[in-house]
Amino acid sequence: MTKMDMNRRDFLKVQLAGAVSAFLAPGLLLTGRAAAQSAPPDLAVVTGSPGPATRAAVDLLGGIKQFVRPGQRVVIKPNMSFSTPPERASNTHPEVVRELVILCQEAGASSILVVDHTLHRPENCLENSGIRAACNAVVKNCVQAVNDPSLFSEVKIPQGRRMNSTEVMKAVLQSDVLIAAPVAKSHSSTGVSLSMKGMMGLVYDRRTMHFKDIHTCVVDLCTVLKAQLTVIDATRVLSTGGPGGPGTVLPGRMVIASRDMVAADAYTVAQFEWYEQKFRPAQVAHIRQAHERGLGRMDIENLKIKKITV
Amino acid sequence: MSFRWIIQGINLALFLFLLGAAIKGSAGWPVDLYLRMDPVLVFSTFISGRVLLWAFLPALIVFAATPILGRVFCSHFCPMGTTLEFLRKLRPWRRSNNPSFKRLSAAKYLVLAFILGGSFLGISWVFIASPLSLITRFYGLFIYPLLALLGQGGLLLLRPLVERWDWNALLFTSVTVPRFFTQIFVLAFFLALFILEGLFPRFWCRTLCPAGALLALFSRRPLFRRKVSEGCTECGKCVRACPTAAIAEDDPRSSHSEECIVCLTCERICPEKAVLFSIGPSKREKRPEPFVLERRQFLLGGAVGFLTAAAGLTDPKGPRGKGKAGEVLTAGLLRPPGSLPEKEFLARCVRCGECVTACPTHVLQPIWFEAGFIGLFSPKTLPQVGYCDPLCRRCAQVCPTGAITLLSPEDRLWVKMGTAVIHKEKCLAWERKKGCMVCDEVCPYKAVEFRFQEGNPVAVPEVHEERCSGCGYCEFYCPVKPDAAITVSPNGAVRLAKGSYAETAQKMGLHLSLKQAPSLPLPEMKPGAPGRAPGFD
Repeated sequence: MTKMDMNRRDFLKVQLAGAVSAFLAPGLLLTGRAAAQSAPPDLAVVTGSPGPATRAAVDLLGGIKQFVRPGQRVVIKPNMSFSTPPERASNTHPEVVRELVILCQEAGASSILVVDHTLHRPENCLENSGIRAACNAVVKNCVQAVNDPSLFSEVKIPQGRRMNSTEVMKAVLQSDVLIAAPVAKSHSSTGVSLSMKGMMGLVYDRRTMHFKDIHTCVVDLCTVLKAQLTVIDATRVLSTGGPGGPGTVLPGRMVIASRDMVAADAYTVAQFEWYEQKFRPAQVAHIRQAHERGLGRMDIENLKIKKITV
Repeated sequence: MSFRWIIQGINLALFLFLLGAAIKGSAGWPVDLYLRMDPVLVFSTFISGRVLLWAFLPALIVFAATPILGRVFCSHFCPMGTTLEFLRKLRPWRRSNNPSFKRLSAAKYLVLAFILGGSFLGISWVFIASPLSLITRFYGLFIYPLLALLGQGGLLLLRPLVERWDWNALLFTSVTVPRFFTQIFVLAFFLALFILEGLFPRFWCRTLCPAGALLALFSRRPLFRRKVSEGCTECGKCVRACPTAAIAEDDPRSSHSEECIVCLTCERICPEKAVLFSIGPSKREKRPEPFVLERRQFLLGGAVGFLTAAAGLTDPKGPRGKGKAGEVLTAGLLRPPGSLPEKEFLARCVRCGECVTACPTHVLQPIWFEAGFIGLFSPKTLPQVGYCDPLCRRCAQVCPTGAITLLSPEDRLWVKMGTAVIHKEKCLAWERKKGCMVCDEVCPYKAVEFRFQEGNPVAVPEVHEERCSGCGYCEFYCPVKPDAAITVSPNGAVRLAKGSYAETAQKMGLHLSLKQAPSLPLPEMKPGAPGRAPGFD
């Protein structure tokens, strides 16, 4: 846990440094125009095929080196909880995850893990999602289903409103960088399942979260499990029938990246139709609560968004 | 090490390898081969199930070989005999005298008669004493979980080292320890047997084993048998060494062929080399009085088996008549997918536990008396423990007697084991108005749908019975524990003795279509209230 605290502190330092330099840079070092170009956007939205769009989205945020420094341990959390093929859109696209693994490798990460606590049988999920085959070709044995209780350890949630503690994967606690790489999909109890809801894939006991009001619990969880980088795979969007499907799969064709989990989730909610309707981010309780509790921003209209096509 | 030990070792190793293959799900291996070699298991099932299957061929070969070679099955092939013999080597004490149990040796014929008596009524008692059924349970239900437990402990011990080296392949390897009901019976039974084996060699084989009894009937005078030449000095060494006391105490020249398991110990140890197993008659051969039961006693044993079986049929929990589609079974008694109708199922099931051992999710469990005492140790699916994967046919693949029909993968999808029922008073969405819908999330079919209910802000689940296969995903994953808010009842189960499950189910108006294969057109869903999507405010 101490290590976790340290990581978070480190992370805050980096963020602070970034904020300070962003504030100082225009006046001291660069012309206004150059600053506008160099200061990374809050949200990067890239239309394109899964792999290249992922790379471009991370690059728009300043490149992977902003998030992963040489020698760091990285955990990537995709959705691979269902034994379904990529076209069903209940799991993250294998090429999105693979591109992230390659990026982390390029940044010199000392260890890269792609993990999920699977719902279906681990073997089937890793196989049918296509994620294992795609990523293990890059880094051997990097894709793992983590379901055994001995691989989790307890974490206190000081800011928790409904949950005071939970069991989190040790691999995550021992890591330096957490990357959320969810697929964009609907969810029959939380509206959508994006980066914040995806953090439930890193804990052992999800059962009690349903008892204790799942939206608040998701936010509680995100007070301790903060992804430094969120890359939402909206190349296909499971608009109905989520989380497992089958349901209507919209051709989203885009990847949405941000340092802010809440902003990424909020943008994704507003961008697509869910059950053939448009929703505001505030209509998803866990996004609204996360915004109110200061975990991130759902007011996307006030955020700097950079959109490109590759 | 004698030739026999090598053969025994190979057979036990092959038996265990096949059990391992069953657990691993390796295709193509005849994983139930040794079970199908068990004479009593096959003969009793032939009578109780009224079936003759190609699968019974191995036992027929054993039968055919016995009048020629004697009881070589017992001494060379039977994994039960080998296990007992191997364990005897480990006993901490040494006993020299080996009583002949002349009268007790006849008990095995009583056991055989009891089993056959029940078989004639279509009730299988074979599980109480079939050596292969018992030894499969010993290794499958007791040793396998034990090894898994040790493996898990070993992995945990290694973990700090593995973490240090980032050895992901091993770090994330986890061993699930299977847990089986009735394992305490297996333990107690074998503990008693091991003690007896430690005291008296082959005690089980010569006094209780009905397979031995059946083979003994075929080996009264096998072609290949023991002969003693002129050189015999009547030193009595062979009499003391014979594990089954088959050599007459007063005359080492004569032996009981039906008791002899052809272990060839006497031939090996004779100081005068006067003992020889060979084919054909011998002039000096004398045959002592056989140990066999009188016909009257045998019939009495059979009658007791028959009457016990009859009593079993009057059990309120026992099967009634010929089970037919839609018959309501005992509450909570969900049989493996593709199980024959209950009565035929119990007539065929030999309780070897092979399906229970091989089930990848361990949803299959042996039961105690839930199906009456004639259903003792038979398998059921227990969704509290796991779920039944509609794409999996492991239990049917390993069943030695076809009590669980091996269906085509397509037909397998149409098996209805029961129906899920929502207990609204316990359901988080219905009763506590909390968003959940886990049952919908995990259902592999399209049986659970959400809908909106007046005055409830969250979507609530609803089971479409005609789309529900009773696989138990919903019950297993339901967050309400220990008694889930959605449970599977055997109501509506379809069990066929023959014919296609797909056709039958479709005729009954069922729509068992997997989510991942939306091949079958489904009836229109009831639309939710307009402007509502689940989980949004």
